[in-house]
Amino acid sequence: MLRWILLLSVSCAPAFAAEDCYTASAADGEVTFHVLQAGAPFIGNFRRFSGEVCFTQDRITRIDATLDPASVDTGLPELDANLLKEDFFDVGKYPSVSFVSSSVQSQGGTYTVHGTLAIKNNKREVEVVLHSQQASGKLSISGSITLDRLQYGIGMGDWTNTKWLGAEVKVDINATLARGK
Amino acid sequence: MTRFLNSQKAYGIIAQALHWCVALLIFMQLPLGLYAANLPVSMARLQWLSYHKSLGLTILALTLLRLVWRWVDAPPPLPGTIPPWERRAALAAHLALYAVPVLAMLAGWLYASAAGLSVNWFGLILIPDLIAKNTAIAPLFKELHHGLVGLLVVMLIGHIGAAARHALILRDNVMQRMLPAAWPTNSRENR
Repeated sequence: MLRWILLLSVSCAPAFAAEDCYTASAADGEVTFHVLQAGAPFIGNFRRFSGEVCFTQDRITRIDATLDPASVDTGLPELDANLLKEDFFDVGKYPSVSFVSSSVQSQGGTYTVHGTLAIKNNKREVEVVLHSQQASGKLSISGSITLDRLQYGIGMGDWTNTKWLGAEVKVDINATLARGK
Repeated sequence: MTRFLNSQKAYGIIAQALHWCVALLIFMQLPLGLYAANLPVSMARLQWLSYHKSLGLTILALTLLRLVWRWVDAPPPLPGTIPPWERRAALAAHLALYAVPVLAMLAGWLYASAAGLSVNWFGLILIPDLIAKNTAIAPLFKELHHGLVGLLVVMLIGHIGAAARHALILRDNVMQRMLPAAWPTNSRENR
């Protein structure tokens, strides 16, 4: 038993020791979504989110993020209030949206990230392409992902009508991350 | 051909068709907007407001077309029995009957643009925004839209009242000039 613990800690130690993380916060970034309403583009934001991008030996190896769906902000208070309800984010029941990476492939400053996105208990494997840039201790990342809102139960009831509320939601992520855990 | 154009005595088919089309659409548009604006946030509200905006842009285009047509094909002159002050008042009222709905529809368009709720005309043509999304000023355009529509309703009541006065009290055929029965039939006689 002791031998196994020693073996495990020896094999994992280098990975943990070398991990160097940057954290993202809403103060220094934005998450914007784009969807079609009645055939015309519509834009909104999420004001609260956080994330962590970790490097191992100068390569991004882990990206995790969470987002507070209650921070949705379309600029239209009546609509925002509606987006918190059961048909949309149901924030009373599901207070958080999360992404946990499973693999990160890099090519220059471009990263193809695979991971699990969980929205309203709907967990799906997704791929996100991110671009990153490092300068003076800060890390900027940007990328976007297009989701089918119906796969995540966003817009139920009458709102499943995709002629009036598009099924595709494009989410843009832009953040400047600061070093430190 | 002449029956399509205005004569000295009556409006031609084109001016009449435009007038009655716009009249019909405005009488659809007013209750549509009132109904949609009072729905709670829902798919129905999204749909009805979308129809309201598409119809509004249609009326705006037709109204501008009417203004152009009024300039191309001058309206029949008023009968000599009408005093000069009333002629001036009638001209001013008619110009306002073009200006107020145009401004009301522009305010609605500005409101939709500022609210970030752009318009796709009946799902066929994506209409550009007049200004960038700015939800802080959207309520201002909303109030302006409502105010101008209120003014339009008052003016329409005045317009219909004046038409009724010509038809029922003055009996001077001024109202009949806008009815299909008055389509000019003989170019020599009428022009």
